[in-house]
Amino acid sequence: MSTTVTRTRLAAAAALSLALLAGCSSSADSDPASAGSCTPAKGKVTLQYWNTVPGMDKVVALWNKNNPDIRVQMKNISNDQYGTLGNALKAGKAPDLAQVGYDQLPSLRTQNAFVDASACSAATAAKSRFVPWTWSQTSFDGTGVFAFPQDTGPMALYIRSDIFKKYGLPIPKTWDEYAAAAKKLHKANPDVSMTFFDPNNAEWFNGLLWQNSAEMYSYSGDKWHVTVESDRSKQVAEYWQKLISDKLVRTDLAHGSTQMYAAYQKNQVASYVGASWGYSMFRDNLPQQAGKWSIVPMPTWGANGASGDWGGSTVAFMKGSRHLYESVKFNTWLNTDPKALALENKLGGLYPAANAGLRLPALSQGVAYYNNEKIFDVFASSSKKINTKFAWGPTQKTVNLALQDAMAKAAAGDGSLTDALSTAQAAALKSMKDQAIPATAGK
Amino acid sequence: MSNPSISRESRVSRTAVTALMCLLAVYFMLPVYFLIVAATKPQGDLASTNGLVFSHFNLIDNVRVLFTRSDGIFGRWAVNTVIYAVLGAAVGTLISALCGYALAKFPFRGREVLFSVVLGGVLVPTTALALPLFLLFSATGIVNTYLAVFLPSIVSPFGVYLARIFANAAVPQELIESARLDGASEFRTFFSVAFRLMTPALVTIFLFQFVAIWNNFFLPMVMLQKESLFPITLGLYQWNGQTARAPLLQESVITGSLVSIVPVIIVFILLQRFWRTGLTAGSLK
Amino acid sequence: MTDISTRVPRAVSSPPGRRRRNGGRPRAGTIAAFLTPFFLPFLLFYVAPVGYALWQSLRVVRRTGGQWGTSYTTFGGFEQYAQVFQNAEFWASIGRIGLFGMVQVPVMLFIALIMALLLDTPLLRLKAFFRITAFMPYAVPGVIAAIMWSYLYSPQLSPVIDLFESFGWQPDFLGPGAVLWSAANVSTWLWTGYNMLIMYAALQAIPQELYEAAKLDGAGQWTIAWRVKVPIIAPAIVLTTVFSIIGTLQLYAEPAVLRQISSNISSTFTPNMLAYAVASGNNYQQAAAISVVIAVITFVLSFGFMRLTSKKAGL
Repeated sequence: MSTTVTRTRLAAAAALSLALLAGCSSSADSDPASAGSCTPAKGKVTLQYWNTVPGMDKVVALWNKNNPDIRVQMKNISNDQYGTLGNALKAGKAPDLAQVGYDQLPSLRTQNAFVDASACSAATAAKSRFVPWTWSQTSFDGTGVFAFPQDTGPMALYIRSDIFKKYGLPIPKTWDEYAAAAKKLHKANPDVSMTFFDPNNAEWFNGLLWQNSAEMYSYSGDKWHVTVESDRSKQVAEYWQKLISDKLVRTDLAHGSTQMYAAYQKNQVASYVGASWGYSMFRDNLPQQAGKWSIVPMPTWGANGASGDWGGSTVAFMKGSRHLYESVKFNTWLNTDPKALALENKLGGLYPAANAGLRLPALSQGVAYYNNEKIFDVFASSSKKINTKFAWGPTQKTVNLALQDAMAKAAAGDGSLTDALSTAQAAALKSMKDQAIPATAGK
Repeated sequence: MSNPSISRESRVSRTAVTALMCLLAVYFMLPVYFLIVAATKPQGDLASTNGLVFSHFNLIDNVRVLFTRSDGIFGRWAVNTVIYAVLGAAVGTLISALCGYALAKFPFRGREVLFSVVLGGVLVPTTALALPLFLLFSATGIVNTYLAVFLPSIVSPFGVYLARIFANAAVPQELIESARLDGASEFRTFFSVAFRLMTPALVTIFLFQFVAIWNNFFLPMVMLQKESLFPITLGLYQWNGQTARAPLLQESVITGSLVSIVPVIIVFILLQRFWRTGLTAGSLK
Repeated sequence: MTDISTRVPRAVSSPPGRRRRNGGRPRAGTIAAFLTPFFLPFLLFYVAPVGYALWQSLRVVRRTGGQWGTSYTTFGGFEQYAQVFQNAEFWASIGRIGLFGMVQVPVMLFIALIMALLLDTPLLRLKAFFRITAFMPYAVPGVIAAIMWSYLYSPQLSPVIDLFESFGWQPDFLGPGAVLWSAANVSTWLWTGYNMLIMYAALQAIPQELYEAAKLDGAGQWTIAWRVKVPIIAPAIVLTTVFSIIGTLQLYAEPAVLRQISSNISSTFTPNMLAYAVASGNNYQQAAAISVVIAVITFVLSFGFMRLTSKKAGL
């Protein structure tokens, strides 16, 4: 008897601790996330809220000033977001609320890190206040409420208007037109590339897949369906592979690197496929190019006018919270109140996930760097056209690594991006099998 | 060397030999020289000027930036490194010396078996231990603390191996016997007689262990998430990974590298003779 | 094990002293007090993790209640090992490191041997200078060495590339074919001096009389070096080889740093990087199995090498 107990304990300890490596809590001996109870506390309450957003302390101070009964203590965990969270979950000291990226939600839910807030009617009622796709991810298709959306990264195309004008390139509406423009540009001046493909950026590539409605995962019944490799994802892969093979895009620039800025600085690259948060990158790193940049909608895949998302975070309800009612209250204010959203946008550069946020005064004005264009209108319209069925996988981190390794090989001429999708598909199935997460290939 | 028996032939080979060694010396010094030059430059000159030629002398400012960046975190890393590597090696040397001395001087049953176990430990790849250790430590809650890196670092089977050889070579049995006759306890004998005789050897063990800890990157990387606990190597690695996004960090990575290796190089050169003692013993002569 | 321990000088076992207290030898308690400070941490931080890794590597994760259910681990026999052996990435990393070792280790040790022999001849002046410059990299940790070299490899900053370009050659140190050798160069730079010093120390310990006979036979410096010195310091060369094999199989820091500037180093470039990547994907059991396999390969190779050389050289 005692050996069995010891063994189970050890197994539990092992399973719990292994999660730390990924910065996640495992769940050997914990119950599946159950709906929490939503009774208001008597008297004053203190909530713990962990995040990585610059300036968030000011937002929290604003809340604390007006809500003396629900005091929020915040902690910045930007040094190692998921590691810190994983340690805390393991020790049973998780905060009430924590910032979690959309792509990490399924992985953490698989490990029972969240509490379902749907016991609070205020939580389920919040649905209509957010951009549709964000709610479908935080509610796992309406099966609960595990987090509130905070910010998003709707994608768009950044172009150097001056280079486009100089070489007589039309603004591309579709990806075919974009490729044609890339070809024309290359012919006119081989030293200027249309854009770059960063093989070590799976998150970016996932955004492109998302835009083509290439749903990589879905869940039905009690298992996952893995469709990382699908006709739609292959279409995207083949498209970029052709650009790479024809040497129309560069593959030697890492996103956000000194080299990338240097290439833009030297007018060697004519456009940038990016997200809403990228606007400040160019403004701050290439101040000399003010007035030369324009932001236009993503080129589309034929009649499918959908857009994609790259990045963004949620504020999740963490398992173990004893103040669900108050957490929902604060979380609702934090992510839907125009004052809070305005402050988050100003100090942290967050592009809101709340509908109310898209109408913020700061997001309705022209931006000087971009010729006073109303660039946020482009992002707002992009945000509303993002596929709501897209879901992340429960082993996203492993799959991203496998995809990146294979894309780097493809960029170096070993295999193709289509092969990289096969590799990622296999890695997804294998990593899920390793963790005994039920899954099948295909729909 | 003005011996007339040295022929023209050997003069030719002497020139060839010197030329070859000079070439190798250039190879060994090149990255350090580059680092010295780069550490004196302002960030802007790194890419725009020749890497092997000095430009504007900005070292003082670079060092100031290095030590004030992120609330002086680099100074913290330096202190941590001293704790892990210097203190760790000191404690490690002491326990290795005790153990090696006992294995050399105390006859007891199972001694050779124990020594074989220690030798087996020399061949265990320490990075293979880091991940399982992490799991054991996270179960006991000392992950992400000083102890998580310090405790595993004090164990050095190679140190025990050297200590046993040195104890055999440096401590005559008669001295131990006479100390015992004087009524000294075994510990007193060790600290008053053996320790003194073994001192040069202990310095060697200390240096070896210092290098092992100073070099061990995988263990702190696995164990530590809190920046304030990092040793210099992990801190610089993290900064280096961020230079793509924060190019201004580049100069601090370079200056930080130089600032951290220069004192170690100087100490190594000063303590040369201990290396040679240790290496001679280490080569299983 | 025996190969090393037999060559270890035996402890001087003095005849049991009749005049000693306690029957002439230290009490068991005293001996334990000397041994425990080392063996207790050794047990906790060396032996226990090995046992724990072995135990973990035999476990598999199971789950009840669908994709959001509860996970637990159970005994899985050699399932993790079977998966490691079927893992193409694992074999690719072993192959890569094998190629690395087969080229880098001999090259490094050859340079180290030549330098040690030259330092030991009367032909060379400025010996202290050459010894110190070669040994200096040993004071530099792998991470910092890799950072230094990565600047010399980077097209934007490298004066070396500028130099080559002035001769009309544009090297790409970080390209898919070259990056393995760029990593090998960092290892060579780091460890040549250390290995050289081990060999040099062994050479210094050879009594001069041994050369006299050879000199009388009219042998030159080169003949003496290859015919007399090298065979005598063979054990030191074997030792450096074994340490180099162990080091090669553990490679992590240098490629991890180069990965920061080159997409041609994958997340599974070396076996250790693979183990870390697998562990950070929550699959600790398999990471444990990989660690065990790496340790076994290290053991087999280092012992195998010692066996082989001791038979051949009759050491």
